[in-house]
Amino acid sequence: MLNKLALSGIKHRMRDYTVLFSGLMIASAIFYMFLSLALNKTFLKSNSPAAATAFIFGFGIVLLAIITIVYINYANTFLLSMRQKEYGMFMMLGAKSSKISRMIFVETFTIGAISTIIGALLGIIATKYVSQWMITALDMHVTHFSSFYLPALVWTFIFFIVIFVFSAIRNSISLRRTKILTLLHKDSQPSKIKRNGAVKAVQAVLGIIFLVIGYFCMWYIGKNAAFIFLGVPIALVTIVIGTYFTINSAITAVISLLKRNTKYSQKGLNNFTLSQLSFRIGDYTKILSMVSIMFALALGAITVGLGFQKQISAVVNGQNYYDVAVHNADTAQKNRINHLSGDDQSNYSYKIDDNKKIIYYRASELKKQPFHYEAFNMKSMISTTKKSTNIADPDVSYSMLQNMMPKYRMSQIKMVNDADYNNIPGKSNTLTLVKTSSFKNNLSKIRTISKEEAKRYPELKNAGGDKYSAYIMINGFFSGLEFMGFFLGIAFLAMLASCLMFKILSGANGDVKRYNMLYKIGTRQRVLRSTINKEIAVLFAVPAGLGVIHVLLGLQMFKGILFQPYTHIEVPFGIFIVLYLCYYLLTRYLYKKIVLK
Amino acid sequence: MQKIVEVKNVEKIYGKVGEKQFKALSDVNFEVQPGEFVGIMGASGSGKTTLLNILSTLDTPTSGSVQIAGQDITKLNTNEMADFRANKIGFIFQDFNLLENLTAYENIALPLALQNVSPKKIKPAVTAITEKLGLTEILNHYPTELSGGQKQRVAAARALVHEPSIVFGDEPTGALDSKSARALMDTMTKINREDNVSILLVTHDPFSASYCDRILFIRDGEIGQELKKEESSRGEFYQEILDSLGTFVE
Repeated sequence: MLNKLALSGIKHRMRDYTVLFSGLMIASAIFYMFLSLALNKTFLKSNSPAAATAFIFGFGIVLLAIITIVYINYANTFLLSMRQKEYGMFMMLGAKSSKISRMIFVETFTIGAISTIIGALLGIIATKYVSQWMITALDMHVTHFSSFYLPALVWTFIFFIVIFVFSAIRNSISLRRTKILTLLHKDSQPSKIKRNGAVKAVQAVLGIIFLVIGYFCMWYIGKNAAFIFLGVPIALVTIVIGTYFTINSAITAVISLLKRNTKYSQKGLNNFTLSQLSFRIGDYTKILSMVSIMFALALGAITVGLGFQKQISAVVNGQNYYDVAVHNADTAQKNRINHLSGDDQSNYSYKIDDNKKIIYYRASELKKQPFHYEAFNMKSMISTTKKSTNIADPDVSYSMLQNMMPKYRMSQIKMVNDADYNNIPGKSNTLTLVKTSSFKNNLSKIRTISKEEAKRYPELKNAGGDKYSAYIMINGFFSGLEFMGFFLGIAFLAMLASCLMFKILSGANGDVKRYNMLYKIGTRQRVLRSTINKEIAVLFAVPAGLGVIHVLLGLQMFKGILFQPYTHIEVPFGIFIVLYLCYYLLTRYLYKKIVLK
Repeated sequence: MQKIVEVKNVEKIYGKVGEKQFKALSDVNFEVQPGEFVGIMGASGSGKTTLLNILSTLDTPTSGSVQIAGQDITKLNTNEMADFRANKIGFIFQDFNLLENLTAYENIALPLALQNVSPKKIKPAVTAITEKLGLTEILNHYPTELSGGQKQRVAAARALVHEPSIVFGDEPTGALDSKSARALMDTMTKINREDNVSILLVTHDPFSASYCDRILFIRDGEIGQELKKEESSRGEFYQEILDSLGTFVE
């Protein structure tokens, strides 16, 4: 009978249970997605040149496991907050506490098991599509990656089942220990307001000091790479503590300043919103600090991942000024070249003296069409474009030889006048060099030209030298890193935003009464909705804001590895903000569903 | 003189046509004059709360009309209803319904802030009502730091601060000890007499009801008997109420 009643209780709260189920499914799906990458050693080895990758992923697994545990803890609190009143009622009617604790055990475990199984299956599908999307969208070359990876699936099950067994035990013990009356009136338990201004002031100062130390360490790592082994742990600890103190004190200080400004606070529901926030932030300090650190790590992973992507075009462009090199172009190749956008074309005639290993160029043609090349500066690690009319100069001829057939790349280049050129025996060849407006945008056309060229001259196959082969090699090298950064970032973001969502939703039941009271005394629904929007927006914005600052300063660490780590930073930030925004919108929608009539 | 409340032929039926229906109120008619202190008494399930919800625009009648301060509240849309509650009605609930994250002062100031009254005017208004209710010492306290009686006086101050046309009390003494209940009812009577504030009280407690000028008894959704205090003392009126309840319940 009790089981039947408990089941009917679930049916009545289907909406809340849908939230719970979907949240838990997201958790196990993300966990699987991450493990499918992190546990696949062949994939890691074949896609990353750095030995540190396995370590980074090991660290990632630990972090993700911690977030998942915290996350499930919140989801569990949400479950208990929904059920305790009902279970309290059963106990009041005479059900034995052992029976009730067995029921909550079974319920917690069943919910956990079902959501883990469905979530892991969703994870396999998501892994397939997300990786496909990333590989196509970013033109990545990833090998040994499979969306279905059995060890990942097994570990996901083991991990979640262990956590749910613990949660179930905890729930049943906590129900058994709580008094029936407390269970029945849990919603109306008053919350204590703490007043400790002096402690907060000290925390605010300490928070800023800790953050400054952490930021300084990251900046110093960028200057002096050897400091990394000491700097990273120091930065990690000081930034975590600094973030905690800042959220706990500085944010509440801002709120109380706003409250003191009566012009602002005594307008509409502003005072209520501010009080809700200061009330919440006291309670949410830990989760908000965690979210802000994770946010920074996740955003950092994507930014650095994309940093490698940007590196690709910079490195590729540094290899060869010209995007395409075609010898003795036939009509078909000429047609293809004409279809490239914004092409800047140069045509040079050359003759080859096979015996003396000399290549002759017409000086007149070079005068008309100066040769462009990339001069690499070893000190600044940056290449600059230069032009010259004298390709016989050894510095310049090296770049020109890259565009020649492989067997002539060791030859000498000579420039001769037209009369001498005509007198040189042998066939006159043409070399067409093209610089497009953008290598990336013309990539597919360039690929076709390059492949055709390799068909016409089989010796060009795997010979390198041209920009397209440089691209293939470098893209393959960086793609793995980028793929991992993206995956790591998105998995973390989804998890931490879900964490925050659940923490907020688990408090929603307690807010029903407050909003109902505001409604009764004449607050318009629109005003109530905007109050909720504002409140949840701040709870999402505080960790995001701090996280963004952490990343902006944290990128200093990568100054040694990535040149210009800040260029096009809006791309990863944009992707991240959009995903995060989706979570915000979902949270406020669900919150309003629970709180408002 | 314009009546504060005028209820005509109000009927409330729950359940859709064709389904099982339940009539919570049936042909309810009554009036409240300005400055009157009226009580509505009835057992649980008699329709008290339904009637109060309709009067306070939280629910709408199936038929009939309800005029408050000359305005037909059954014809208002949702936003107008909210504005009406904010401007014209004061509420005192059984469980205080104070926001525990706001201080007593902030709780009392809330209805004025909701009406976008300028902060300059909010302070004197709050000070005036809190002095009258003897709350000046506890204005910076949070509800959790107050006793039940103090909480209910804060709730009363919140109900009165915006000078509503009428104050509705929903079992305001229900969660109070006898001493606090007596103090609250004395305060409400004082405000009613001195400031001519109209009060409509829903209760099943004869002691609280004995403070009223007039009592309407409701049973099974219908107003049955009416009892007026007139020249009787409060003790006599209390006895009359008990007698009436005895006959009314039979």
